[in-house]
Parts: sequence; structure tokens; C-alpha cells
Amino acid sequence: MSAKNAYICDVLVVGAGLAAERSAVEAAEAGLNVIILSLVPPRRSHSTAAQGGMQASLGNAALAKGDNPKIHFEDTVKGSDWGCDQEVAKMFCETVPIMIRQLDYWGVPWNRVTAGKKKLPSGIEVEDTKDKEGLITARDFGGVAKWRCCYTSDGTGHTVQFVVDTVVCKLGIPVHDRMEAIAIIHDGETCYGVVARCLRTGELNVYLAKSTVIATGGAGRIYAASTNAVINEGTGAAIALNTGLVPLGNMEAVQFHPTGMPPVFILMTEGARGDGGYLLDKNLHRFMPDYEPKKKELASRDVVSRRMIQHIRAGYGVQSKYAPQHLWLDIRHLGRQWVWTNLREIATIAGNFNGLDPAKDLVPVVPTQHYTMGGVRTNKWGYAYGLKGLFAIGEAACWDLHGFNRLGGNSLAETVTAGYIVGKQIVKYTLGATQDFNYKLVEDFVKQEEERIKNLISGKNGKEDVFEIRDAMQQTMMDHVHIFRTGPSLEQGVAKLQELYRRSLKIGLHSSGQGANPELAQALRMPGMLRTALCVAYGGLMRTESRGSHFREDYPKRDDANWLKRTLAYWKEGADLPTLDYEPVACPIMPPGDRGYGEATAGPKGK
Amino acid sequence: MGRQLSFSIFRYNPNIPGDAPRMQEYKLEEYEGMTLFVALNDIREKLDPTLMFDFVCRAAICGSCAMMINGRPGLACKTMTGTLPSRINLMPLPVFKLIGDLSVDTGTWFRNLQVRTESWIHTNKKFDPEALEVRMENKTAEAIYEPERCIECGCCVASCITANIRDDFLGATGINRVGRFLIDPRDERTDAEYFEVVGSEEGAFGCVGLMACDDNCPIELPLQQQLAFVRRKMAQAGLKLDLKGMKIS
Amino acid sequence: MELAKTLQVTLNKKANPKTDLYVDLAQSLSGVFLVGFLWMHMLFVATIIVSPELFNSLSEGLDKYYLAQVGIPATILLIICHIFLAGRRAPMRLRDMRIAWRMTKMMGHADTWIWAGQVITALLVGIFASMHLWTVLTQWPLRAATSAARVASVGPADPSWGGFTFPFMIVFYVIFLLVGEYHAGFGLYRILVKWGWFERHKMGYVLKGITVIIVALGFIALYTFTKIAGGGA
Repeated sequence: MSAKNAYICDVLVVGAGLAAERSAVEAAEAGLNVIILSLVPPRRSHSTAAQGGMQASLGNAALAKGDNPKIHFEDTVKGSDWGCDQEVAKMFCETVPIMIRQLDYWGVPWNRVTAGKKKLPSGIEVEDTKDKEGLITARDFGGVAKWRCCYTSDGTGHTVQFVVDTVVCKLGIPVHDRMEAIAIIHDGETCYGVVARCLRTGELNVYLAKSTVIATGGAGRIYAASTNAVINEGTGAAIALNTGLVPLGNMEAVQFHPTGMPPVFILMTEGARGDGGYLLDKNLHRFMPDYEPKKKELASRDVVSRRMIQHIRAGYGVQSKYAPQHLWLDIRHLGRQWVWTNLREIATIAGNFNGLDPAKDLVPVVPTQHYTMGGVRTNKWGYAYGLKGLFAIGEAACWDLHGFNRLGGNSLAETVTAGYIVGKQIVKYTLGATQDFNYKLVEDFVKQEEERIKNLISGKNGKEDVFEIRDAMQQTMMDHVHIFRTGPSLEQGVAKLQELYRRSLKIGLHSSGQGANPELAQALRMPGMLRTALCVAYGGLMRTESRGSHFREDYPKRDDANWLKRTLAYWKEGADLPTLDYEPVACPIMPPGDRGYGEATAGPKGK
Repeated sequence: MGRQLSFSIFRYNPNIPGDAPRMQEYKLEEYEGMTLFVALNDIREKLDPTLMFDFVCRAAICGSCAMMINGRPGLACKTMTGTLPSRINLMPLPVFKLIGDLSVDTGTWFRNLQVRTESWIHTNKKFDPEALEVRMENKTAEAIYEPERCIECGCCVASCITANIRDDFLGATGINRVGRFLIDPRDERTDAEYFEVVGSEEGAFGCVGLMACDDNCPIELPLQQQLAFVRRKMAQAGLKLDLKGMKIS
Repeated sequence: MELAKTLQVTLNKKANPKTDLYVDLAQSLSGVFLVGFLWMHMLFVATIIVSPELFNSLSEGLDKYYLAQVGIPATILLIICHIFLAGRRAPMRLRDMRIAWRMTKMMGHADTWIWAGQVITALLVGIFASMHLWTVLTQWPLRAATSAARVASVGPADPSWGGFTFPFMIVFYVIFLLVGEYHAGFGLYRILVKWGWFERHKMGYVLKGITVIIVALGFIALYTFTKIAGGGA
């Protein structure tokens, strides 16, 4: 066995979600030869599951009046708990309105402003004025000062991904779906492309490119309960980490979304609360105003998730067949018409999986792993640290728009904006680069992967069961690296993960591994997933402060004096723990201050 | 204790020389809230690691996991085993190329469809980053969103006899997709240009009206209405009826 | 960026891009006309229930104004057209028949089963209609008495068959009535579904209702004919 096919192109995009496709469009429009690799057809990417919307300061809706990129920037920085790269955030906030309008030009059916007086569920009356009628409207979202979240019902990710994919089809960009990149080809300085395994036939292919873009999304599946799709195993970031040269940034920053619906942990959009939904406890008491009198249910996600767990710990959780402990999401008062028009997708999900109709039933919710703020660390133009010709965008990257907590609606916005901004840089770099590779080097990488596959099939290194190790890893992350973290627990978690990592190197298949064998696919990913998980756990252990979604019970305060810095995790060859390095986080525009929520120390109040 | 479920699953991997199509039996104990997503993963992880199937979002959003469940196409992820008899028969979707076991290549089929129907906004306007978006009525946006919701799972195509016997037929999903652009004011194509795309036996006039698509759509798109709308619109375009003030489509 | 088309597809399109539209319209129209004809025909036949005189005067009237002389050949022509137009929808190749049958059985989907029934009844209607036309036209003119005699005739009653008799014609007409109305009722349903003017489930009930009424009228008419034939003999 050797590489079945070798493809040569200018730009290789690994992943086919929104960030990936948007950057591919940018490159293809510049006349570059682009190939997209993806685990699944583009329209199945997890980007399509984004529900609530995309933040952009258009300022069209009644409660959006006066909005501008500066306010969006401030919200983003506060949301990130001053962990983000402010230059990136500024650039992002200024660009995203153009992105929204371009998506509109491409065909996204954004919901529009309808003029007239409206009474909100909170009792406030607002008026959308005639001069804004027909422009793109927005809904409220967590942690924002203005209504800024542009949406199409609650299927925003779906419509945006489908529309960007129409542009990919129009430009004729080839998409090789069911093709998984399993190793980055490099010589220690430059990235030359990837070795990829075909998930149709099991054959290995080689892709060589001047520029390689990692856009493979998050790594939510290192946790047992996650809102993420089952393909979100962080494969792209893992192969970048595996080079030993490219660091993952801020991996300990993991977002837990307040409203995952047990027992399946599918997302209930933040739009539900943005549109006026409440969180209730076992006494059907609306508890969030007790903790967060100002932002109530619409504080940032890290804060709401912590408050929910705090409230459950105080004994106000609901025990039901859905989960041992959960709370309720109540959107009944929004009315059937609203629920089945603007929150239709979550209404369908509640019906499909729990037989509930949110227009008349409460929906069980519990904070659930949702987003990986960390990822392949890049500079503000998307160049990955450590290797020339390697870029990263979207959730797979740590461009560092989100710092330690991402605002709802900023990720979908990041995908297209980064795709555009970094896409331009990719074009610039690629036009100045040339294909120059040593084919011996390429063959060595292929041989290395062949060897791994052969050993997994023969069980040369051991007979460990891949699924058992995966389950143990996921459980460890749930037990030790969740919303509330403590030093001793993280230490135990790291030790368990290290043990699992060592075992993962001794995986042997139970099946023949022939063809596009799914066990083999999982086995090839397993060590990489554990390395990623260790970056999260170890990074969390070493960060002795609380910032954004990273909350240490033993260090409950943000510590700007010592920790205004970004974690960079490297994986040296042969190691069983990442090597951590740090770089300062500059705050050139907005010095660290009070977020305006989440700081109060109000205790739980029951009724 | 739950029911004992017996699964009869189609097995065939065209990439393994000598492999023959067959039905294989698996037994599993049912528990509360079990979906086919859970059941199939249990089978793969505990009984047979070679079993191929596709799941992505497991929330009935991405359309990856459509298969023939006791003869009818549906999304496996949202199918509760509790709604099925204890004997469960699983087959891959017909029409699409078989990758192996329950996995079929919907990606290539749908990509061809997009290209054949030129499913993107056709406009001569240039995007102006400085300009405001073109105004649109919210009602229009909602009307476009309705057909746009299609998740391209392939259930309509799999259950369509016409699509099963004629591989050039666009299927309900394709006609629905064109219908989405027909009502989009941003698309500047003329009726004649749309007629070129769907005004034929491969498109709007190929539908026999069996409505298995309409009955089996997992997200309940109004496919009958969509198919009929495009058919009327295309008939009107073809006949060049100029019925001013008369609403026939 | 059109996908490559074959020469034949290209030439078909060049010859007349609207052919598919015309054929599809013609199929639907021929179907609508035939359903109209059939329902009208059954209403005319049902006049026998009121009285043979009404039946005869109607029949004579049709002859007198040459409506029968024009109508019958026109209907025959329409049937032939309809066979060609609608027949192209039916699975013709063995491969297609096998697929269609497998899918129909596998899915157990009501409308698909109904369509399978339509394909089968189409064949039966074709055969039965030819026989019906033959017997009617060879016994022209059409009057209550001749119709009654035809409906009530038994056969073969040939001594070489052992004097075996059986009311073949009444059985023939009962089956013909059922398959004819099935094909027409669901055919109209399908046409309306395709053009989409009504909500299909409600429309289905209405059409089933109409079909049941017409079948009932047909049965009563047949009964009346046998009565007349019995009384006359």
C-alpha cells in the first residue's frame, strides 16, 4: 500500500464548514486552484447546526438603534473577560456588517424589520420605525448592549452554510468529501500539505499545496455530553499539534452553553432567551434575576452556566427522567405563533427527542459543553504559529476573537469574517509562494501513516479497545475538567488522561480494518484526541485564576497581574504531557475592567 | 427491563473483494429514550466494529443519517426505538451510490444537483460593501426560508418511484430548491431561464404525483405545494400565458 | 456551468424545448376529459334507474344530433392518446418494474400502492373498454332493451360445453365498473395533486365520495337492467 492518488493545488482547505468554505471562496475568486477536504459533505458540516444568529452591528431593529462596531467590540472584549486579541476583535467588529450584507447579496433570507409598535415579553414596548422597514433585523442575545444578532428563524447556520456552499458550487471548487486529513506534511519549517485517508475506500491520498488551511471546527467530543456533532473531534487541531511545532492556544477555555437539552444534549438556542425566554427551577421560580439583576438570563454564557450549576448545587435542580439534575427553559409566554416561526428548529427538536411542545411545555436544560475557544494559535492574519504555509480559521483556530468566553452569535460571525480576512492573506501568501517539495519527505509521511495503520490492524502495539478508551476520556473530562474546576480534581484528571494516552498508543483493532473501516478511523484519531484533552486539562490546571469560562473554585478571581496571558500548548515528540508556554495578551484599546455581570456574589435564593 | 430488539441490517461493503450483500441480525436490549443513533453506535461499539453508517449532528438538522427504517425512509437519529416494533429492519437509501452497509453517497448526488439546477443567486449586480442591503419584506424572507429549510437528507428521492427508475430525475428536493430561487427577488433569472432548468421531464414535468416525498419528508416541507407551484409556474412560462391580474401560480 | 449533455438530449431540446410541457399537459387534459366522459356516461346510464323511457330519449337524442357518432370515435381517439401519454409514466422495462414493485412493497406507502393499482387497472380498463365498445357497437343502436339484454346475457350455454351457463356479462360489468371508477377517481386525484390546487387529503376524501356515489349508481343501473331483462323475458 502507498498513496493512491496525489493531488497538487494552490490552496488546500481542510474542513468544509463555514470558515473553510468562505476562505475557499476568497482564494478561488483570486484565481487560485483550491481543493476542499472534508469528513462529510459541506452541507452536513456542524456550522449548519448553528441556530440563533450572527452578531453584526447593523443597528436596524428598534433596540439596536445607535449600535456600532465600537459597542460590539466592547461587548466582545467584556465577554472574553479581556482574554481576546483586541486588534482582532476590532477588525472583526468592523468587518462583520459587510459580511452580513454580502451574505444577503448571495442569498441568505435574513429576517427583516417590520415597522410598528411591539410589546416584548418583558412588558417593554418598542417601535420599529418605517425608515428601517425591510432592512435586516436582529434579536437580543447574551452579553450584549444592543440587539445585534441577525438571524433567519433559528436556522441561521443552515441558511448561511447553504448559501456559502452555493457560491462554492458556482465557482466549481472541488470538494473531496469523506476525506480525512490524518497527518500534516512538513519539513520542520514549511507545511506542504496533508496525508488523507479516504473514508469511502480506506485508501491513503496525498494533497500538496502552497497553503494549507485548518478549518475543522471544535473538539467538543472530548466530552461525553456536548452539543457538538459527533464529527467534532478536533481532528485538524490535533494533527497540527502533532507536528510538535504548532501550538494550541488557550485550550482550557471551553464554553458550556446554558441550554443543552438532556438526555441528548442537543442545543436549545440562546435565541430562546434572547427572544424573552426564562430559566426556571424546581419551584418554577425564575431564578436568574436573583443572581444577575441587570442581565438576568442574558448575561454571558459562562456566567449563566455557572449560575445554573450554583443554583442546582443549592438544591433547586429538577430531578426527572430527562436528567438527574436539570432546570427548565420556559418560552411558553412567547406564544405559539412566535415559537413555531422564529424558534421553529428548537421546537421541532424538543418534539422529536422529548415529545415536548415548547409552546405549551417546559423544556429541560442543563449547561453542556458547546464551544472550543482555543485552537491552533495564529497571528491576527490567520498564519499558524510554527509552520510557514499553514493557516487556521474558525473554531479550530485560536485567532483569539473570543478569549475566555465567546459571545453567542460571534462564532457564526467569526467563521465568515475570518474566512474573508484570512482568505485574503492566504491569497497574498500563496501568490508569493511556490511548490517546492521533496517527494521523499512526502513518501516518508505516507509510510509513517501506513505503519500506524498496519500496527493497529495487526495489534503489534497492544490490544486496547478504542471505544473503551474514548468513553473513559469523555467521562474524565466530565468529572474533572467541567464548569467548576479545582486543582486537586484537575490533577487527578490529568493523571487519568495521561494513563489513557499511554493506552491509546497500544490500541489494536477488533475488526479487520479493511476498507473504510469505522473502528480504524476512530483508532487513528484517538491519540490526537487525548493530546487535545490533555492540553485542556493541563492548561486548566496550570492557570491558577478564573477568567471567563475557565473557573477555578480555588482561585475564584480574575488575576490580571499574573494571568493576562495566553496559554500555548506544544506537544513534543515522545511526551505524554503538553509543554506549556505563555504569551502576553495586550489590551491596547480597552484596559481590563468590570464586565458588568457575573461579578456580584449573590447567593442562591429559592422560593 | 426493556424489550429485546432484533435488528436486521443490510450488510455489504463494495470495497471488500468477495463481499456479498446480505442481511445480518443483531440483538440489543432496549432502554428508555433509545434512538436508532444510540442503538447503531451500541452495535458498532459492542457487537460489530465494521458496521458502517453515517451520523453527524444527531439532532435531525444535518440530514446525514437517512435510511430505510422498516421499509420507510427516515432520519435514524430522531427515530425512537420505542415507536418501532421489536424487529427492526434497516436498509441503506436506494438511488444513491452505496458506500457500504447503511452508508450512501448523498454528497456527490446533491452536489451534482446544485450544479445541474444552478442553485445559486444569479444576478448582474455587483456587491457594494459600502451600500445598505436591498430591502425585502419580512414575509418574503420567511417564504424563502420555508423551502430553504431542506436538509438534503435524500428521503424524498429514496421514496420516489420515478427517481428510483430514472437517474436523471431531479426529485422533490431539486424542484423544491429551484422553487426557492423562483420566489427570491434577488435572483434575476427570467422564467424562460428557469424553464431551461426544470421545464422538462427531468424536472417539474417528471413528477408522477405519488407524494411519497410529501409523506416522508422528515422536516415536513410542503413538498406537494412546492412541486405543484413549480409545475404551474413552468407551465405558465412555457405557454407564455400573460394573464394580467389573474393569479394562477 | 451546465453538466455535459449527450447528443440526444441536446437535439431533443433543440427540436422543441417545450415538448415535455405539452406532453405533460396533454396527459393531464386527456385524463380530465376521460374522467369527465366517464362520469357523464355513468350519469346517462343511471337514467335507466328513473325510467327506460328517459334512457331511450336521451340515447335517441344523442344519435339525432350526431353526438354519439362524433363522440364515440372522439372518445376512442382520446383513449388511445391517453394510453400513449400516461403509459410513458408506467414502468416499462423489466428492470423498472422490479424496482417499482420492490419499492412499493417495501414502503407500504398508501399513495404509491394506489398508483400501482392504477397501472394495473389501466391495463384492465384498456381491455374491458375495447370489449365493451365492440359489443355496444355491434348491437347498435343503443336502447334500454338492447342494453338490458346485453347486461343480462348468459353464456356460453353451448351444449358442447355441457350446457354450462354463467352470467358473464354482469360479472364483466361489475368488474369494469369497479376498475374504471378506481382508475378515473384516483387518476383525477393525481392530476389535481400534481397541479396542486387543493389540499390533497381533503380532496382525496371528496373524490372518494364522488367515486362511491358513481359506483353505487352504476350498481343500481346494472340491477335495473337485469330487472328489465328479466321482466322482458
